[in-house]
Amino acid sequence: MTIVIFGGGGDLARRKLLPALYNLHVDGVLPPRIAIVGVGRKPMSDDDYRAFAKEGVEKFSRRPIDAHAWESFAAALFFVAAEVDGEQALGPLGARLDIVEHERGLNGDRIYYLAIPPTLFAPTVKQLARSRFVPPPDGRVARVIVEKPIGRDLQSAREINDAIAAVFEERAIYRIDHYLGKETVQNILVMRFANSIFEPLFNQKYVDHVQITVAEEEGVGTRAGYYEQAGALRDMVQNHILQLLAMVAMEPPHSLDADVIRDERLEVLKSLRPIQGDEVDANVVRAQYGPGFILGKAAPGYTQESGVAAASVTETYVALRVCIDNWRWAGVPFFLRTGKRLPKRASEISVHLKEVPPILFNADPGARLDPTILAIRIQPDEGFSLGINSKVPGPHVQIYPVKMDFHYGSTFGGSSPEAYERLLLDVIAGDTTLFMRRDAVEAAWQWVMPILDRWAERGRDGLVTYPAGEWGPEQGEALISSAGRRWLAP
Amino acid sequence: MAGAVADRSWRASTPEAIDADLSALWREVGRGETPVARAVMSNLIVFRSPSAASGEDAAALIRGLPVEDVVARHPSRVIVLEHCHGETPRAPSASAVGILTFGPATARYGVELIVVRSACPEPSLLSILRRFVRGDIPTSIWWTEDMSAAQPSDAMLTIGRQLVYDSRRWRDARRGVAALAPLVRHHRVDLADINWRRLAPLRRALVHARGPLKSDAWRGVDVRVAHAGGDAALAWLFAGWLRAERVRCADPTAAAGAGEAAREQDREPLLTAWIGTMTATLSAHTVQIVCPDAPPLVVAAAAESEADAIAAELRSLAPDAVLISALGALV
Repeated sequence: MTIVIFGGGGDLARRKLLPALYNLHVDGVLPPRIAIVGVGRKPMSDDDYRAFAKEGVEKFSRRPIDAHAWESFAAALFFVAAEVDGEQALGPLGARLDIVEHERGLNGDRIYYLAIPPTLFAPTVKQLARSRFVPPPDGRVARVIVEKPIGRDLQSAREINDAIAAVFEERAIYRIDHYLGKETVQNILVMRFANSIFEPLFNQKYVDHVQITVAEEEGVGTRAGYYEQAGALRDMVQNHILQLLAMVAMEPPHSLDADVIRDERLEVLKSLRPIQGDEVDANVVRAQYGPGFILGKAAPGYTQESGVAAASVTETYVALRVCIDNWRWAGVPFFLRTGKRLPKRASEISVHLKEVPPILFNADPGARLDPTILAIRIQPDEGFSLGINSKVPGPHVQIYPVKMDFHYGSTFGGSSPEAYERLLLDVIAGDTTLFMRRDAVEAAWQWVMPILDRWAERGRDGLVTYPAGEWGPEQGEALISSAGRRWLAP
Repeated sequence: MAGAVADRSWRASTPEAIDADLSALWREVGRGETPVARAVMSNLIVFRSPSAASGEDAAALIRGLPVEDVVARHPSRVIVLEHCHGETPRAPSASAVGILTFGPATARYGVELIVVRSACPEPSLLSILRRFVRGDIPTSIWWTEDMSAAQPSDAMLTIGRQLVYDSRRWRDARRGVAALAPLVRHHRVDLADINWRRLAPLRRALVHARGPLKSDAWRGVDVRVAHAGGDAALAWLFAGWLRAERVRCADPTAAAGAGEAAREQDREPLLTAWIGTMTATLSAHTVQIVCPDAPPLVVAAAAESEADAIAAELRSLAPDAVLISALGALV
């Protein structure tokens, strides 16, 4: 197997892909015969690339470097400088791949990882076809991995998907949403469908509402160029958050077959009630962070960040009230929020069950009991907890909400594999379960588009600010408090 | 649940790396032969003023406080904050994370501690606290300082549901009560005074002996109160309790010392009240009520450690309306 990383000299390769591949190597789960070939515009020798990779592994791997393991891993690393412009642009790459594969006894099965800007997806796959890198479907393995964002709207997503589909079959296309590779996200299915306690409760009869929070502490940092064009809705909601929503809300699949699971996730996306026109103003809050404090230090506002236009209307925070119009979830609001420069980095899903009737222990309106909440912590404190009201020992009836807390770190010890490790391994194994199918990507864009259209119409109107280091703007609080609920801070 | 600490794991950290270091510490603990479950019933923010003794060792900031005993009784995510007001916003200067494990080898549970030393303006302090508190559990602030000298900022109080303090630490009871006035008036946070708990047996005994404060037995009676050295706040709270129900009570006065022997045996009255012909005395272990027309009433005042008292308050989610009324009568 040969893994060809377009953008192999870039940040994603350095921070995520090469450390993930190294850890898979240490775990002994990579194919015994493998080559990893970085491709980039800037020329680099193989040794330089190995040094580049080592620096990335030392800094970002979950494990420290082991000299023996590194030696054998580094021997599989190569680099080829190439452009995707021109008739024979990938000719030199093809020649080098042939040599490497011949020398290492590889059979020519390849994975092409497009760790490059989306604008280069179509030209690159065209070049792969032109250079005969993609064999007929029944021949050697040729798979392509595509990083988000897949487009910046429905039309551009379709164009990218069309361009890739012209070269690769859908089953050979792996659209990465790295959230789906996280242990805790995979555990949502296990928790729901391997335990008899939860699934019977996951419906409109018992669930009051569901919250999904994906909070980032960081500001826009060095990504202003990308972020100015994207914003929180495109960067987080269209992909990560809607995928989390689909995992929580999907029907039980009849098997663990990749397409069966992906069909069920798609059904959820198709059942989302569209938010259109002035409904957007009532159900979606968009905001930009202003100056504030993060961990005691002053933090600049979004428009003071390097590379951000002073009159930028890009949202760094979005909160939404979403409804799923199907039998299971009718009438259950899903509150979603994400933002930059929030107090901490944390992703969490919480399922809030309905309150017990206001009699017996819940009779005092001034001292209502906490509702039962199932909190699924995606990161960084991976695990889940279930709140249960319990009597405090003693002569009086005093009730306290206790937690049944499952915590990956203390339960299993060791560090969980990074999402990219799991996802790369799945691509090698040909398992598409944790990847987004074309129809799901486009369904998500289709649902998001009316919101983007409304914002484009309104310009700055409706865009509010929040101080860096706080949980978003007042309007975000009002969105949920007007429905009689409150955000659960992770 | 109270038990001795079975193990302590500490790791120096940086403010930015606290979450990662805590996760790493849990993984270390989790690799042991005995599984350790994380126990967390609340966030407990422990506020301390800077102390020269703590030096650069952030973990030393819990010395001198019964933190371990409190979390043994009420497992909490403890955030110890040593804070002094600074002029310019800056990151906390030192920090550490720890895990205390309790319980027998067959049922170990662990409690996490985060220790942070900071010096920044009050508005930025909140950003430090928000970073470390968990939102799915109640948050209490344990103010370990003399509130008559230093009070929690408004910003700090917005993050907790409850403010735990001990008015016995007050050097100036009147100033302490004055410091609480805004909290009493606007009820921004539930108040939990450890000292107030010491009055409970006296209050119960008096109600038993004389009837509820609203009853006629208390009408037209003049009450005088004397207190031992260091217990002025206790006496003022007692006076507030009476005044809240319109019982006439003079300002408390300090009592003459009871002598070395009595003090050593904890028999010195902490507080003596004269209610008409009735005399009520509260000492460390008993309440005694004497009146001419009935045999003396002696009830035990259960000994409660500071840790017991704090843990009991942390478990209480309802506001203490009687304490609020008593303070309200004093402010």
